Amino acid sequence: MSDRAARRGLRRAMVWEVAARDLLATLRDRRTLNATILMPLILIPLFTLGFPLMLGNFIGGQQQERQTVGVSGPLPAPLRAALERDETLPDGTVVRAGVTLVPVSDPQAAVQSGDVDAALRVPETLPDRAGAGQGTLELHAKLGNLRAQTGAYSKVTDVIEGYNRTLAVQRLGEQGLNESVLQTVTVKPVDASTSQEQRSGQLAFLIPMLMLQFILSGAVATAVDATAGEKERGTLESLLVSPVRRAEVVAGKLLATTLTALTSAAFSVAGFLLSGLAMRLYLQRQPDATAALTGGMGGQLTLDPGSLLALLGIAASAALAISALLIAVGIYARTFKEAQTYVAPISLMVVLPAVMLQFADFLNFGLGIYAVPVIGGMLSILETVRGAAVPSHALIAIGANLLSALLLGLLALRSFGREEVIFRN
Amino acid sequence: MLSVQQVGKTYGTFHALRDVTFSAQGGEVFGLLGPNGAGKTTLLRILATLLRPDSGQAQVAGFDITRDPEAIRARIGIVNGGMGLPARLTGREVLQSFARLYGLTRAQTDARITELDDRLELGRTLDTRAGEYSTGMKQKVVIARAVIHDPPVLILDEAASGLDIFARRTLLDFVQASRAPGRLTVYSTHVMSEVEEVCDRVAILHGGALITLGTLNGILDATGERTLERAFFALVRGQPTGGAHV
Repeated sequence: MSDRAARRGLRRAMVWEVAARDLLATLRDRRTLNATILMPLILIPLFTLGFPLMLGNFIGGQQQERQTVGVSGPLPAPLRAALERDETLPDGTVVRAGVTLVPVSDPQAAVQSGDVDAALRVPETLPDRAGAGQGTLELHAKLGNLRAQTGAYSKVTDVIEGYNRTLAVQRLGEQGLNESVLQTVTVKPVDASTSQEQRSGQLAFLIPMLMLQFILSGAVATAVDATAGEKERGTLESLLVSPVRRAEVVAGKLLATTLTALTSAAFSVAGFLLSGLAMRLYLQRQPDATAALTGGMGGQLTLDPGSLLALLGIAASAALAISALLIAVGIYARTFKEAQTYVAPISLMVVLPAVMLQFADFLNFGLGIYAVPVIGGMLSILETVRGAAVPSHALIAIGANLLSALLLGLLALRSFGREEVIFRN
Repeated sequence: MLSVQQVGKTYGTFHALRDVTFSAQGGEVFGLLGPNGAGKTTLLRILATLLRPDSGQAQVAGFDITRDPEAIRARIGIVNGGMGLPARLTGREVLQSFARLYGLTRAQTDARITELDDRLELGRTLDTRAGEYSTGMKQKVVIARAVIHDPPVLILDEAASGLDIFARRTLLDFVQASRAPGRLTVYSTHVMSEVEEVCDRVAILHGGALITLGTLNGILDATGERTLERAFFALVRGQPTGGAHV
C-alpha cells in the first residue's frame, strides 16, 4: 500500500518523531537503562580488571604462602632444607615461602584427599652428588589444578631444578670448571610485540565480544519494544494510519535502536578505558610478580585518536547492522515474548566468533573475513585494541556492516509494508 | 465523503469481503453493523489504507485509497478496540507526538488538547503514564489521539468494546457531539443499541457481504420488526455465518 509513498523519501522531522517516541519509552525503562549503561560499566571492569586482579592475587599470594607437601621415603637432607627454606630480601621480607614437609604413607591418596597440596615419593635412595647415578623422584599433584600448579608443584620443581644445578656446579668445581660451561649459548628473548600488544593482555580477545554483546543487548530492548511490543500493545496500527510513511517508521525505529545500541557501546568503551586507567594506577603500586601476572592477563587499553576513531566507526556500523537485523526479525513476532525468542539465537552470532577469536593468532583468514558483517568488525576491534589496527581491515568491516544494515533495513521496510506481517496476530 | 465500490478482500481461501458497495456523506454518523467476523474491521482497515483490497475501489475524503493513501491518512482518525498506548508515555506526550506527526503547531496542539480534555473529561489522565490507565481512561486517550488533528472522517471500530458504563457514555456523547456538517463518523459495532442511539444510517455486513443499507426506520419497516436486533436476525436468517471459503 505505501510502497509508492515510501519511495518519496524520508522527512527528517517525521523520522525523528518516531525515533523520539521510542527513545523516550526506552529511557523510562529502568531495566533497559541498566542493560545499556550500568552493565557495561560494571561487567567490563570486572572482566578486564577484577578477574585478572583476583587471579594475580591468588597466584601471587601462593608465593608468600607455605604449602604442605607430603613426603614418602628418604629425602636427602640438603634437598629437604632447600624445600623448607624461605627466600627473603635483605630486609627480611619473604619473596617466596618454602613448603612444609610432612610424612605420608600414600602420596597419591594424600593429595587426592586434600591433606597435602603435593606429595613426593622417593622410591630409592637419591644420589647426593652429580655423576653418582640417577634417581627418580615422583611428584604427585593435581596437574590440571591451577592452584596446585602455581603453588606447591611449581615450588618443588623449581627447588629440585636448583638442587640439581647446585650438585652439578659442585662437581664442576671439583674438576676445576665453573658454571658457565653448562650454558655455552644463552637465549635472550626480545619481545617484538608493539607496546599496545604487550599491554593489551591475554584477555584482549574478550573486548570485541563484550562490545558487540553490549551493542546487542542495548539494541534488543528498543528494537523488540518498537516492533513486536508496538504490535502487542496495539500502538503500531495507530502509527501506521498517521501521515508518517512506512519508510519513515522503519528509519525512526532504526535510529532509536541504533542510538540505544551506540549508547551501550559508548559506555562499554568507557568501561574499557576506565579499566585501563585503574589497571595502570594499580600496577604502579605493585611492581612485583603479582602486578606482572595481573597486567599480563587483564592488560591496559590505551587508544590513540586514530584507533579510537576506528573503534567507534566499527561499533557504530555494527550497531546499525544489528539494529536493522533486530527490527527485521522483531516485526515478524506477534508479541514481545515471541520476539525475544526470535532474537535470542542472534547472540550466538557474537559469542561463537568471540570464542574463535581466542585462537586468532593461529588463524589466517585473508581479507574476505573482514567483509563478513559483525565478524569482520570483531576481528578489526581485536586488532585495534592490540595496537595492530589495519585501516583497510577496519574500512572493509565498516563497509560490510553498512551494506548489511542497508539490506536488512530494506527487508524491514518490506515487512512493514506486508499486511500478513503487520496484522499477524 | 466516503465511496466504496465492489470492494473484495480474500485471506488465502477465505472471502473476508465480497463486492461491498455503499457511500456515506459528511454530516452523518454511518453505522456499520455485523457480528464478529462479518468483515467490518477488514473493510475499515482498507478505508484507512492499512490493507489493500483485492478488487474494487474506494475513495475517502475525495482521495483514492490506492493512489493517495498518504492524503487519506492525513484526513482520517481511527480507533479500534485493540488499539493501545505506549505504557511509559503520558497521555499528553502521546497527543503531542501525534499532533507533530499531523503537522500541528505547539499552540494548535495545546488548544486542541484543552478542547479534548473538556470534551472527553481527560483530567489527570493527561499527565499520567498510560501504563497506569484503566480501560476507560486508555480508550479516551486513544480517541483523543485519533481526533487530535480534527479529521473530517472519523472511523470508530468497536471503540466501546470493554468500556464500563461511564466511559461508554462519554464515547457515545462524544460521537453525538462530533456530528457536524462536512464530518463523517463511521461507527462500527456488533452492539445494536449503540447503532440505534448514534447512527443516522446503517449498513449491515454479514459473511463479508453487505446485506442491507438504510436508515434505522427504513430497515425496521422493510423487515417488519420492532427492533434492530430482530431486524438483523430476520435479515441474516438462512445466510452463512462467516466469510465463505472460495
